[in-house]
Amino acid sequence: MSRVLVPLVSLFFALVAAASPWFVVTRAFGGKGVLLAPFGLVNPGGVRVPDFDLPWVPLAFWAWAVLAVLASLAYLFLTGRNRARALYLLGGLGLLLFALEAYAFYRQVAEVNAAALEAGARRPPLKRYSLSLGLYLQLFYALFLLVLARMHTPGGAGLLVRYRGVVVPAVSLLLAMVAGGVLVWLLRPIPGLREPLSTYGYLVAKLDLVTYTFQLLFGPVLTLPGLFQSALIATPLIFTGLSVAFGFKAGLFNIGAPGQLIMGAVFAMFAGLYLPGPRFLVLPAAIAAAALGGAFWGAIPGWLKARFGAHEVINTIMMNYVALSVMLLLLSKNEWSFFGHVVHFPFKAPGYEPKSLEISEAARIPLFLNLLGFKGAGSGELSLALPLALLLLVLGYYLFFRKLELGPRVLASLAAAMAGYLVGGWLPGIPAQVGADLASVRLNGAFLIALFSVAFYNFYMWRTKHGYELRAVGLAPKAAEYAGVKITQKLVLTMAIAGALAGLAATHYVLGGGIDEYRFKQSIPYNVGFDGIAVALMGQNTPIGVTLAAGLFGVLLTGGLQLNLQLGISRELVLVLEALIVLFIAAGGFLPRYFTDPLLAAEFLKRLAPEAEKEVA
Amino acid sequence: MDILSTAFLVALVAGALRQTTPLLFTALGGMFNERSGVVNIALEAIINFGALAAAVTVQLLEAPYLAADPNLRIWWIPWVGVLAAIVAGVLTAWVHAVVSIRYRADQIVSGTAINMLSFGLPSIVLLFLYHNTTASKEVVHRILPISSYLPFLQDFFATPLGRILDQSPLVYLAFLLVPVTYFALFKTPWGLRVRSVGEHPEAADSLGINVFLMRYQGVLLSGVLAGIAGAYLSIDQINQFIRMMAAGRGFIALAALIFGKWHPLGILGATLLFGFAEAFRIQIEGAGVLPSPILQAFPYVLTMLVLAGFIGRARPPAAIGKPYEK
Repeated sequence: MSRVLVPLVSLFFALVAAASPWFVVTRAFGGKGVLLAPFGLVNPGGVRVPDFDLPWVPLAFWAWAVLAVLASLAYLFLTGRNRARALYLLGGLGLLLFALEAYAFYRQVAEVNAAALEAGARRPPLKRYSLSLGLYLQLFYALFLLVLARMHTPGGAGLLVRYRGVVVPAVSLLLAMVAGGVLVWLLRPIPGLREPLSTYGYLVAKLDLVTYTFQLLFGPVLTLPGLFQSALIATPLIFTGLSVAFGFKAGLFNIGAPGQLIMGAVFAMFAGLYLPGPRFLVLPAAIAAAALGGAFWGAIPGWLKARFGAHEVINTIMMNYVALSVMLLLLSKNEWSFFGHVVHFPFKAPGYEPKSLEISEAARIPLFLNLLGFKGAGSGELSLALPLALLLLVLGYYLFFRKLELGPRVLASLAAAMAGYLVGGWLPGIPAQVGADLASVRLNGAFLIALFSVAFYNFYMWRTKHGYELRAVGLAPKAAEYAGVKITQKLVLTMAIAGALAGLAATHYVLGGGIDEYRFKQSIPYNVGFDGIAVALMGQNTPIGVTLAAGLFGVLLTGGLQLNLQLGISRELVLVLEALIVLFIAAGGFLPRYFTDPLLAAEFLKRLAPEAEKEVA
Repeated sequence: MDILSTAFLVALVAGALRQTTPLLFTALGGMFNERSGVVNIALEAIINFGALAAAVTVQLLEAPYLAADPNLRIWWIPWVGVLAAIVAGVLTAWVHAVVSIRYRADQIVSGTAINMLSFGLPSIVLLFLYHNTTASKEVVHRILPISSYLPFLQDFFATPLGRILDQSPLVYLAFLLVPVTYFALFKTPWGLRVRSVGEHPEAADSLGINVFLMRYQGVLLSGVLAGIAGAYLSIDQINQFIRMMAAGRGFIALAALIFGKWHPLGILGATLLFGFAEAFRIQIEGAGVLPSPILQAFPYVLTMLVLAGFIGRARPPAAIGKPYEK
């Protein structure tokens, strides 16, 4: 790392922290806030607020400035272990300072609110108070110093390169957030601005606007309904993310997830409308139908590539448009004329909205809350069946049956899960209250199917011969072919499985009632197929990564609703962030190339190795 | 409906020329970047951003004039819109160029990212300007067909041939570009350099050709042409920007480019095929021959058939899609 980088980062930190809001004392609906910055209280919206003062804030700012100067000096003039020690010390001090400031702020808020309530106020006067950009910067700066210190202890130099699978997406996310912040800064005026602000006040207010944007976007993680809603939105993203990742692993780029999703929905609708029988037969069949529809739609471009060498990218895109046409044909009208003959279709529900008839009870996936034993809002009991089953499944696989072969291991774990389900169902439940806002979230069993798909992806790709061959084709198709892999067969199979994964996303929308009704609706948000590209890249095609990335985007998209409500910024901002993340990850986060190229990374780490040994000696 | 009536044929041919134009601009632009060795899936996004820039620029420019006098028409306003579309197209292409040439990104991923950006970003801009997320305000200053510039030829433009030829200047520009790009690519030293960096960048480099520079030029040129295609859609064919206006034309142009074997004349033939197919679809849409969704899928299915049938025999530039490392 270049020598001037650390002083530059420190300087930047100090400058931005000086002009940032540190605390939001109170905030009205619509974004108007009372902002506490190191050099004054800024109140652009003229919100009425009781006396609130933290006299130590300027002092704290100067403490941070001194800390930043010391860190720069330590980095420039100390070497070896002393440098690492000094940085550890400063980083630790920073964390402590951060914690103290946060504590003091929340205590002051609590006191002011308590005092006002005692004086006869009906509601606490300070609402939506929070830490703000200044404090976040302090936290990140302290962590930055700690990471830097770790990098200067023996064996730590290659830290970032070794964790490049996390570093590249994280840096890309950060850059995308900065770009999104600039966009908001440029396009959105300061909420509720009454009179012109001083330059300093303007900076603080704009930085608060940007910070508040991201606070709203990340806000859903703080509440249970928010988390449920995020999981709801993440469910199809997991499917499509896996679909794209599956293609990537074999060197294929599946942009066809939207079309595969639609075809999955079409097949699921057929199954849901026409399959007779009991639930335990119809529901799995309907789920399989969704996978089949996607697989069918994915296999076509795979076959075209294998047979004619036609590039899968353009073909999958074209298949998206064709799938859209199929959906319009089935759902927009029931009467079509073919060469003058009128043909009647039986799918569309009567009424203005283009949507299918309701699927049968037997083909519906229950809501997640019902799976947990609740019956809607109000008091109920949390059944232990599902948690216990999942717990035993994971424990069984990773702990009890580790010694077994793969097949018996999976079977034994599943048996343990079954036993857990039965025992958990027999045990008395835990009484709990379900709020109306939680009960209104339509998170359903498709979420579990998504998690099982993640497990399937993990097994297939890293635990089976087929997966091994598939990864070999992705890394070096020629070499794989010489080693005996039938490339054409693999192409079709890969695209079919990728399509099946995308098609399964339809289970959430059609069978699970993800968009309010148990129907195939034309408003099905097939664009989540494109979001899958971002999810796969952000998750670096690993099962855990895809799950986490889908969760992240689920949170952001959920927060986007609030963003629209409170600040009037289009929810599409999240799409822009997604696109920027993909772009930046493609560019390797603008990091040096040894972060993206595994060969260069190995070389880089090898070059570091002797130095580390020297330091130890 | 009589398929062979003059009115039908005139409408079909005129419609085909109109449908071909944006594809031809885009495919000719794509030819330059692919010939220089860079895949540009972002053509779709360039069309979208070009269309947005053109519509927004024209609307903002004309608003003060129209406020003063609603009947005022100023000839240069739509052309400033075209210029804005070119600027937006070049900027978009530049992002793709930097990421895929300078940072050696996977060109398809980079292009896809830019396409995703073109689905989301316009909504934010539209919300900011017009308080809705799907369409811009309608503009008054469209690019008019040439009959409005040549009022003394009114009689001619009333004849069937005249009705076919009464197209926007941009249509003429698109078809004029076929020989121009042919000359530029195959008869000038610059064209030879562009082709050489797409075929064998190492050899070109050893002869002192700046590979990066040529590739930047190829990609930026595609931004210019696809940007014009965007302006054609938003301020010529109709009079406003609509979200995702390109509707797959960027990808169809790519298919036409492959079908046309990376050659201006081949591209002309391929885009005319797509243009006629689309015009034919529009003409028979109202006749109840086939359900409209099936007809709408037609150009996309045609694209797939074309790719499956002909790509095997065409040879792409040898170094296409591979980042160059000095």
